[in-house]
Amino acid sequence: MLPLPAFEWVSPGSLDELVRALGESPGESLLLAGGTDLLPNMKHGLFAPRRVIGLRRVRELRGIAETPAGGLVIGGGAPLDRVATDPRVMARYPALARAAGLVASPQIRRMGTIGGNLCLETRCVYYNQTAFWRGALGGCLKKDGPTCFVVPQGRRCVAAMSADTPAPLIAYGASVELVSVRGTRTLPVAKLFAGDGVKNNVRAADEVLTKVELPPPAERLFSAYEKVRSRAAIDFPLLSIAAAAVLDAGGHVVELTVVVGALGALPRVVRGLEITRAAPLSREAIDLVAEAAHTQCNPLSSLGAEDWRKDIVAPVVRRALAGLAPSRIAG
Amino acid sequence: MTPEPHPGSTALVPLALVVNGDAVRVAVPAERTLLELLRYDLGLTGSKQGCDKGDCGACTVLLDGEPVLACITLAVDADGRGVETVESLAKGQKLHPVQTAVVNHGAAQCGFCTPGMLMSAKHLLDGSRTPTREDVKQALSGNLCRCTGYTKILDAVEAAAREMAEARGGD
Amino acid sequence: MATDDEPHPPWRIGTRAPNIRSFDAVTGRQRYADDLTFPGMLHAKLVRSPHPHARIRSIDTREALALPGVHAVVTGKDMPVKYGIIPWTQDEYPLALDKALFVGDAVACVAAIDEACAARAAAAVHVDWEVLPSVIEPEAALAPDAPRLHEGHKHGNITKSVQLSFGDVEGEFAASAAIVEGDYFFEGTTHGALEPHCAIGIWEPQGVLTVISSTQVAHYLHRELSRVLGVPYDRVRVIQPPIGGAFGGKSEPFDLEFCVAKLAMVTGRPVKLLYTREEVFYAHRGRHPMKMHFRLGATADGRLTACDAKTLIDGGAYASFGLVTAYYSGQLVTAPLRLGAYRLDSTRVYTNKPACGPKRGHGSVQPRFAFEVSLDKLADRLGMDPIELRRKNVLEAGERTVNEFIIKSIGFRECLDRVEQASGWKEKRGKLPFGRGVGVAGSFYISGTNYPIYPNAMPQSAVQLKVDRSGRVTVFCGLSEMGQGADAMLALIVSEELGVDLEAIRVLTGDTDLTPVDLGGYSSRTTMMAGNACLRGARDLGTRIRAVVARKWECPARRVALAGGFATDREDTARRIEIGEAFRLAEAELGALAAVGSYDTPKDVHGDYRGGTIGASPAYSFTAHVAEVSVDLETGVPKVEMIWAAHDAGKPLNPMLVEGQIEGSAYMGYAEAILEEHLVRPDGLHRGPSLLDYRMPTSLDTPHVHSMLVETADPEGPYGAKEAGEGPLHSTIPAIANAIFDAVGVRIDTLPFTAGKLLRAMREQREKGGG
Ligand SMILES: Cc1cc2nc3c(=O)[nH]c(=O)nc-3n(C[C@H](O)[C@H](O)[C@H](O)COP(=O)(O)OP(=O)(O)OC[C@H]3O[C@@H](n4cnc5c(N)ncnc54)[C@H](O)[C@@H]3O)c2cc1C
Ligand code: FES
Ligand code: FES
Repeated sequence: MLPLPAFEWVSPGSLDELVRALGESPGESLLLAGGTDLLPNMKHGLFAPRRVIGLRRVRELRGIAETPAGGLVIGGGAPLDRVATDPRVMARYPALARAAGLVASPQIRRMGTIGGNLCLETRCVYYNQTAFWRGALGGCLKKDGPTCFVVPQGRRCVAAMSADTPAPLIAYGASVELVSVRGTRTLPVAKLFAGDGVKNNVRAADEVLTKVELPPPAERLFSAYEKVRSRAAIDFPLLSIAAAAVLDAGGHVVELTVVVGALGALPRVVRGLEITRAAPLSREAIDLVAEAAHTQCNPLSSLGAEDWRKDIVAPVVRRALAGLAPSRIAG
Repeated sequence: MTPEPHPGSTALVPLALVVNGDAVRVAVPAERTLLELLRYDLGLTGSKQGCDKGDCGACTVLLDGEPVLACITLAVDADGRGVETVESLAKGQKLHPVQTAVVNHGAAQCGFCTPGMLMSAKHLLDGSRTPTREDVKQALSGNLCRCTGYTKILDAVEAAAREMAEARGGD
Repeated sequence: MATDDEPHPPWRIGTRAPNIRSFDAVTGRQRYADDLTFPGMLHAKLVRSPHPHARIRSIDTREALALPGVHAVVTGKDMPVKYGIIPWTQDEYPLALDKALFVGDAVACVAAIDEACAARAAAAVHVDWEVLPSVIEPEAALAPDAPRLHEGHKHGNITKSVQLSFGDVEGEFAASAAIVEGDYFFEGTTHGALEPHCAIGIWEPQGVLTVISSTQVAHYLHRELSRVLGVPYDRVRVIQPPIGGAFGGKSEPFDLEFCVAKLAMVTGRPVKLLYTREEVFYAHRGRHPMKMHFRLGATADGRLTACDAKTLIDGGAYASFGLVTAYYSGQLVTAPLRLGAYRLDSTRVYTNKPACGPKRGHGSVQPRFAFEVSLDKLADRLGMDPIELRRKNVLEAGERTVNEFIIKSIGFRECLDRVEQASGWKEKRGKLPFGRGVGVAGSFYISGTNYPIYPNAMPQSAVQLKVDRSGRVTVFCGLSEMGQGADAMLALIVSEELGVDLEAIRVLTGDTDLTPVDLGGYSSRTTMMAGNACLRGARDLGTRIRAVVARKWECPARRVALAGGFATDREDTARRIEIGEAFRLAEAELGALAAVGSYDTPKDVHGDYRGGTIGASPAYSFTAHVAEVSVDLETGVPKVEMIWAAHDAGKPLNPMLVEGQIEGSAYMGYAEAILEEHLVRPDGLHRGPSLLDYRMPTSLDTPHVHSMLVETADPEGPYGAKEAGEGPLHSTIPAIANAIFDAVGVRIDTLPFTAGKLLRAMREQREKGGG
């Protein structure tokens, strides 16, 4: 048994109560949605909050609803399994459905939420270990020491964003709503993340991620998600690629977005893809994109197998682009 | 290296939940997991602990009908909800079809993964459709087994599915 | 004509009866060690070393003892007696006394009112360490100035070194048309049994110590507890409850068993200790990393000439079974194929890492990989089909191996035929599109070791049987049930011999107070040894019961058959009585009905050179596998599509359970080939001691295993049965390696076959081909 540290339990029944409870002592409280990330981390002695605030009873965080314009609003507390199997998500945002459906294991997808997935702690082989192990190592930059074991001279923690859903959400141009006693703000998912492995999101300690909003899919939107991992289940991504392409009636690229996950603290949006515009997504165009991704992405030893991961960026990007699936608005 | 507990925060939290059909009232410290509650407080030792942090599936139980990992579920978060464990599968003397199938196919060796495996399987079989072998593999993919190589477990769950479909009068 | 030897035609043997234990397993009623609680029970936690090699200057337990809820703390000084599974190499203390030898070595143990409190107390034990230089790589351990792990040990950092030679090695190489030579590396792996180790100590005021433990070797634990703790041998009781898998990982005494015993003695209260998953990785005793250099030769027509094997074995901090490992790594490649000559040179060294030991296929899985891949290369060089090359060299029943083991039964030829046919080998080998291929490998394994771990002239296994007037039979045996179906095997034999239904049989195993000694669940010995003991006892009882019934019926005893729940007249089958009635008749005439049976091994099955007994067995199982593998040419990801596994387990007593062993073995071999790596970093830390980082395959990863049973009648095994639990693992790994070669033309001679290695090898091959 890995005993949890003691804490005080609060289980608010509404968003209002939740936000107030969190506002009381933001620095000493942690939110627990599915708990599939927080509790293993607490068992490892990575956090010992004075207070844990459960989100389960907050009705406002649940559910998946349509926006008048034809987009979807997913509650921050929606379980990943619901996201993966919701017919509307599957039809309009197939890459998101796929990403959510590839997380961890069936049980964890039923417990884990999309909010928890977006706020997932960054991961690193030197960090996601027991207190005993980290003590034996001597403590790393992210938690208990001055040294980064991944980049020995590094000043900044490079623990990796290892969640599955951020990449497709960024590719779709989704945004999140953060609510606190101080007010409400909305920001694109891409802006939620920061390039620091110690804390890779801009969520303030008193803020709750209440919803994820997906804009209505553009006409002729095609998307895909590819996840690379060692094992076919119960495994975080070693590399993940989300791609979204809007084509015109003639099959020419209007907009192409490729997002790579599991590299560093930040999901990386591949730059320079304007070159594909106004031309068909041909074999050659795909190779160009794959090459761009390859040069821009440098996997680190924070998740291991870095040389191989670098080697396969291009083929996995090609695979994603070859497997683009259409968004179906009706359905 | 283990973080010090905050003194004074170990007040007991009263809970009311339904475990295998029985109403249960208990008071636990907030840091108690559902698995500890079941195994150590309620004596329901059928659910197993293989890793205690979400990696193996041995602790799988149904919470409000859905398979979850009891080792990373707080007991306090199960307040007001229904829990089913392997102990609930047999009704009186009658084994659940998937239990019988596991026995008849030799699908339990050491048996340590079996309770969790059965709960994942039950959830799958409770669905309306008769699952394919691929569906069974998917449904059991969060439950590690170290003994069987899965072949006989998959066979057993498929056999149970067929039998249950027949009992329902076809699909 | 019925004879006294053949009491009746088989009625139970060979049937697919359910495992009698599985009813408890599926209902959650099976009580493993951690499922047991006792009034007043305390919980214990170990304090472990954060250093790979460090001297203990002092241990301060005052702060821990002062915490409310803490009852006792013990350290190495409380149990300063060395132990170890092999009597000649005892080098461990229950808790490190002077030095800790790896990260995770236990140095103190606390008992407290609950686990959380014990964990807090463990953190409050302060050890003053003097950090010493450490050795992580086995080559470094051999350096003359290397830090010494065991200072008193005569041979530096060498646990054991074995050099043996059989036949004219150089002469045979000289006569060879082709010789392949290569280096192979097997990274270590671990057992990964799903149940973490757990033990409970109970001290009774009259001076009896009981330890309930998830052990595979209750008898050896019994001996060591008595010796180390100074409790008389006749006042120690070891109970082995059902255990959640073991695979060799629970086959020697561990720190936790001594600690719960000592703490129970100190506190007078029951004490439980359950390892965390991380601690299971530190307890380890898993498969040794081995660096192997193999040379193998053959004549132009494919006769195997000589094999020359040199192996460096990375043992970790303690000897464990290492003496045996050193022998097995050389001795167990000499069948199923005939070798003209053979030389082995194996050295096991100490390093500052968790100790390695026996994992399913102890010591022989690694050299089997090297040998079978060498064979595949040799076939390639000779332009021969790899199955043909094997066929040309298969040993015959009655023959001795080059190292003088006698093979009494062998179904290897048929194993080859079966996998060749079932896999469509002839249509596939060398003919599948680039990126897909098939590979073959074969192997053999022992059905128990011929000699016990400590020298003695007593039987290796014994049973007692009790028949009572209700019609029930109870069988008592010290064997270790760990999921392999050993209890079911006993029930099957009793049922077969005495005619009773399985439901009327009670099996009581693994309790040193109640059951006669069996040496334990290791080296695939149980069916051979406990099975034979049970068969003897049951047959003895059956003979007596049949004689009574025969007297009543006034017919010769050979006409009375005990089967199907009845005693039946074989020549007038209308005349029969219920078996319970037969038991009552016998009890009335003979008094209380009981029997014993025991088994010891034949002593003429090995050579009489030094070490010739190690690896010798009463019988050997044989296996052939074909694996089909595809490789993703862009990412290097290998996918094992299918494994065909044919296994000669002699007479399968229960084919369903034998298949289960084949499937489980092939799965585990697959896992070691593709996914698993027990890695210790250069700083001595385990790379990832969790089931998330040590990746065991899920239902989605594991290939389908098509298992096939090849029947032979072994003269030594009960009803002709041989082992099935370990042998079928050996072939899986080289079959996959050879399939990868067939698929993409590259050889990966280091395990595991990761996508990264494959991608690199394919690129190098392309570059070579292009340049
Ligand atoms: C064995 C295992 C395998 C896994 N594999 C994967 C994988 O393959 N891919 C993957 O993406 N993840 C994986 N995970 C991680 C995790 O299960 C998922 O990311 C899951 O989505 C987390 O959601 P949760 O609701 O359980 O989060 P929690 O654990 O409840 O929370 C995670 C973090 O987010 C914060 N948080 C949660 N909800 C909110 C909110 N609404 N507003 C603000 N902050 C919030 C919490 O305070 C906490 O810091 C795995 C976990 C385990 C144990
Ligand atoms: S014990 Fe809960 S997942 Fe392993
Ligand atoms: S039967 Fe032993 S782990 Fe599955």
